[in-house]
Amino acid sequence: MKLRVGIKYCGGCNPEYDRVAIVEHIRQSLKDKIEIVWAESEDVDLILSVNGCSTACADLKSFENLKIHTITSMEDSNKFIKRTRRN
Amino acid sequence: MPMMTAEQYEESLRHLNMVVHMFGKRVENLVDNPIIRPSMKAVAKTYELAHLPEHEDIMTARSHITGKKINRFTHIHQSIGDLVKKSKMGRLLGRETGCCFQRCVGMDALNALSIVTFNIDEKYGTEYYRRFLKYLEYVQENDLTCDGAMTDPKGDRSLPPHRQPDPDQYVHVVEERKQGIVVRGAKAHQTGAVNSHEVIVMPTIAMREEDKDYAISFALPSDAEGIIYIMGRQSCDTRKLEGDTIDRGNVLFGGHEALVVFDNVFVPWERVFMYKESDFAGQLVENFAAYHRQSYACKVGVGDVLIGAAQTVAEYNGVAKASHVKDKTVEMNHLNETLYCGCIACASEGHKEPSGTYNVNILLANVHKHNVTRFPFEIARLAQDIAGGLMVTMPSDKDLRSPETGKWLEKYLKANSDIPTENRMRILRLIENITLGTAAVGYLTESMHGAGSPQAQRIMISRRENMQEKQRAARKLCGIKES
Repeated sequence: MKLRVGIKYCGGCNPEYDRVAIVEHIRQSLKDKIEIVWAESEDVDLILSVNGCSTACADLKSFENLKIHTITSMEDSNKFIKRTRRN
Repeated sequence: MPMMTAEQYEESLRHLNMVVHMFGKRVENLVDNPIIRPSMKAVAKTYELAHLPEHEDIMTARSHITGKKINRFTHIHQSIGDLVKKSKMGRLLGRETGCCFQRCVGMDALNALSIVTFNIDEKYGTEYYRRFLKYLEYVQENDLTCDGAMTDPKGDRSLPPHRQPDPDQYVHVVEERKQGIVVRGAKAHQTGAVNSHEVIVMPTIAMREEDKDYAISFALPSDAEGIIYIMGRQSCDTRKLEGDTIDRGNVLFGGHEALVVFDNVFVPWERVFMYKESDFAGQLVENFAAYHRQSYACKVGVGDVLIGAAQTVAEYNGVAKASHVKDKTVEMNHLNETLYCGCIACASEGHKEPSGTYNVNILLANVHKHNVTRFPFEIARLAQDIAGGLMVTMPSDKDLRSPETGKWLEKYLKANSDIPTENRMRILRLIENITLGTAAVGYLTESMHGAGSPQAQRIMISRRENMQEKQRAARKLCGIKES
């Protein structure tokens, strides 16, 4: 069964990388492992907070009861891919 | 409809019946007019981005009166976080449009009124705050764009409103009726007025008892009977009439301003938010100005575009690795990020007002705007330095397309052989647009005078500088005994 990953972006005021492209990269890289949905969707297993810089200001108040993984760079996204593949 | 799409916004404007004049004629179709349309598209961007998951975090908020998700431009700030997101939203939209997106002024008027109507009620037992909240809910529920109209023509600057030879130099009440009031006057420099659903009028200066007929604030539908809009000219504006040409520089967006005349316009009481409480006129001006000075976060976003354009043309010209060019781009970034520091700082150091609304730090907002009156000019100078003179001597798009001259332009305007000549011309036109074309209205002169001219900020800085504490610290460190 695929992990349901809810995407929560920061507002993208001055992003240091293409956040939308990274999410697409994650989707393609882990298509047999995860299903990407919007953060507000039901039955989300994990919130992936995708932030354009290290400030990581995405508002996560609505997701306090969920497991959250934060990405602030392309390197972080590669780590997330590797870790999810291992599990 | 708590949040309109860009398409719904455009359609909503088609239902308005505004009286707009430009070049001596009435404009019947505003939305499709080639000079006005780019400015409408810039406002539409504020609707579009609110629906994108990658931007909704700063483009939307929860209404404190209905709990619904709303566009941040209709929100009353409920926290420091809201104020910070407002600054970030300005940078984002400035960068996405490369021009003035016009919608901040209404947001700032709403927030200032949320503070001052409450305070007037506290002192006089009036009912302005209730009226205001009802109006705010209407704005939020319909996701409206509001023009915040503050600047009166002012006539003879040495005279207060009530002593002007022409009493209409400041908007004032001319008749009181059972159902409302009749107002007359004008508001100048109204950015985005013709793209707005509503116009919110506020006094432009602090007033005394003698000026009480001028101490009024109210809101009207932008197409209310008696409101006349006369469009302002912008440098190079008629290039927009030349079709889909690269000579426009910014081929997608633009801004606009208008003189707005109120020719005996009726305002129902439910839409009056201040009526002759002259002792609160200054408070409304000060709070609106502080919020609006914060709003110049947008210039950071436009600065991002200009810096990006300067770097691009440096690469096209083959000079990007020259040390003096690198140094100039570093200087441009230094100035631009210093502006960003100011708009984030005044938000981060904000505070809660008695009404519950969060307000910016007024000293820091004024310092930020004062920097904005200077730094964009230096950033523009450096961009022009890097761009070179071709930016203003380059032939037109039509010459590039002409079978007779196009080959010569292709040949002699080529720099880096890997870069199409047209691309080099496009980026130069964008720099021209921002530094001396239509967008220079917003990036330069509006940076100077919008939300108050430099002297207005210096007055506020002098009022808020906390000199006593500075002097105490100095005296203590050199051993001066306090008496």
